[in-house]
Amino acid sequence: MYYMKVLIIEDHQELARNIHDFLAREGYICELCSTLEGAREKISLFQYDCILLDIGLPDGNGMSLLQQIRAERQESNVLIISARNALDDKIIGLDKGADDYLTKPFHLAELHARIRAIYRRKNLGGANIVEFNEISLNTDTFEARIGASLLDTTRKEFDLLLYFLVNKNRVLSRQSIAAHLWGDYTDNLANFDFVYQHVKNLRRKISSAGGMDYISTVYGLGYKFNSHKHEPE
Amino acid sequence: MKLTNKFTLWYFAIMLLVLLIGGAIVYHEIQWKIDRVEVVRHQRLNDLIAQQIRSGGDYSGHPTRKRASILLIPADSVPKGISSYYTRGSGWNPEFQANEYRLVVTSFYTIAGQHYRISTYSFIPSFYQLLPGVVDSFKWILLLLLVLVGISGRLISKYILAPFKRTLRVIQFFDLKRKEPIRLPDTQTSEFKELNEFLIKMTDKALEDYQSLKEFTENASHELQTPTAIIRGKLELLMESDIRDDQAILIAEMQNALERLSRIHSSLTLLTKLENQEYEAAAPICFSDFTREALDAFDELIEMKSIDLQINIEENIYLPLHIALADLLLTNLVSNAIRHNIPQGRIRVNLSKAGLVISNTGKAPEVPTGELFERFKKGNSGSDSIGIGLAIVRQICDLMNFNVVYEYASGYHHLAISFLSPVPASKLLQNLEVPLQYTLQP
Repeated sequence: MYYMKVLIIEDHQELARNIHDFLAREGYICELCSTLEGAREKISLFQYDCILLDIGLPDGNGMSLLQQIRAERQESNVLIISARNALDDKIIGLDKGADDYLTKPFHLAELHARIRAIYRRKNLGGANIVEFNEISLNTDTFEARIGASLLDTTRKEFDLLLYFLVNKNRVLSRQSIAAHLWGDYTDNLANFDFVYQHVKNLRRKISSAGGMDYISTVYGLGYKFNSHKHEPE
Repeated sequence: MKLTNKFTLWYFAIMLLVLLIGGAIVYHEIQWKIDRVEVVRHQRLNDLIAQQIRSGGDYSGHPTRKRASILLIPADSVPKGISSYYTRGSGWNPEFQANEYRLVVTSFYTIAGQHYRISTYSFIPSFYQLLPGVVDSFKWILLLLLVLVGISGRLISKYILAPFKRTLRVIQFFDLKRKEPIRLPDTQTSEFKELNEFLIKMTDKALEDYQSLKEFTENASHELQTPTAIIRGKLELLMESDIRDDQAILIAEMQNALERLSRIHSSLTLLTKLENQEYEAAAPICFSDFTREALDAFDELIEMKSIDLQINIEENIYLPLHIALADLLLTNLVSNAIRHNIPQGRIRVNLSKAGLVISNTGKAPEVPTGELFERFKKGNSGSDSIGIGLAIVRQICDLMNFNVVYEYASGYHHLAISFLSPVPASKLLQNLEVPLQYTLQP
């Protein structure tokens, strides 16, 4: 398995540590950097698959770094992390060559899903298939299959399954799932019944298509996709 | 009532009072003067008659005796201290065959040891004959004054109050959000000068306070995002460690609170941004498509709640709205319509050139519907929402000059937005009344 190399440019040590700890468990090789200067140096010396860039750094605006990254090497994916949910920043950032934009406070699972999504988009080319055992998801056509049989999922269920697959063996909170499926600003997310319904439907569909029931409820917290399950319950 | 009219009215009242008193004075003055002149004339006449008596000739046919009565009186009836007096009153005028106002002047003389009482009289214009003339002339004076005060009051006040009116106009158009200090015209009137100075000071202070409040809100929400992100991350990491069930519940509760916090933050930041007008539309967007997409996005939720959705969307409705705002507006409206709905309820979406109406079944709100546009106001105190969705909706509508109303009637919540600002949104509801007469399903 290829270990993705990630550079975390974030001046808040605790936040950087969170990201580091989370991604390290996925087997990512993470490096931390808290200043613009340090980041410049690291970028000119090493090659990273993904760069997580905080815009507001103590010694300057992260946007300038973006230009440097794009000027020097084309390979690294850049994901902007910002506390400023300003639309302008988002547009400028994406314009200057960032691949995605995430607003604080984000769920770590969401960050991970975004990193994987960028990676898939940029590095695999052609058909974007996410596979796990008998499950395979085509992120271009939004088709989910169990073995050979096509799973009749809705778009939200597909997104949910993909979110689970990317964050295997992790407890996904209902908040995190809701935010992933419906985005911000809806003031609607407190209603976790919908999350429950979606998970229930998804599990039912996978089971009836002959797939294993990997998804389990974690008491009080949310759900988990268990990759170590071998026999259907 | 206008200031000018108030002044004019007061002037009128004062003028009326002055003229009434003046009229009385003039009347009495004239009456008294006439009496005086007559009395002096008759005293002179009486003196003349006394002279004639003294001279001893026969003057009985003389014109002086025409209205004179000469009496010899005993010495004891001569009044002490006065030589003459006069009386007034009604008397018969044989020349005119009418009762007229008569002035009688009586004088006492002692001629050659004899005491004489000589009275002469004449008919003079009476009280009632003078009054109409006085009243008439004062009527004309009053009328003239009224017209002059009315006209000049209007003209002068227009001139004097001009700086005040200009100040008023400036203040009316003052908007904190535009962050422009007011500029007031110069004036020579010291009161207006004082007013202008005060207003300038006040608005400058308001602008300053508004600015610092805004900065505080922005900074606070900005600075709080990072710690929130840290806590959230730590909780997520903690969640994956080996924890007991009761610990899991604690974590879940923390996460709920955190979620709320972060949602309040992002909503407040968003509202601030809307207020700052950070969203300018690049080009008109097809609102019909956006509405359909928003409904599609909530398709599954609608299905899960077994809600009956009826849509009536007119094609090709273009609005000069920023994409993000269109999205926010529709997402909030549709999600509200779903969340506050009842199982097996209904949602009707009606989009026309005039506006958008979203109606949904639901429990009656506990507070007046108009108040729900305020931040952190919830129709149902028990609900999980933070109550900011409609505040966002209204902010967007304000920004776009859309008129928005929220009404609850016969089991339906109606939210209407009029795209054409002169048309009140409630008008859209009137047109809808007919197709909405459905009975609720049990």
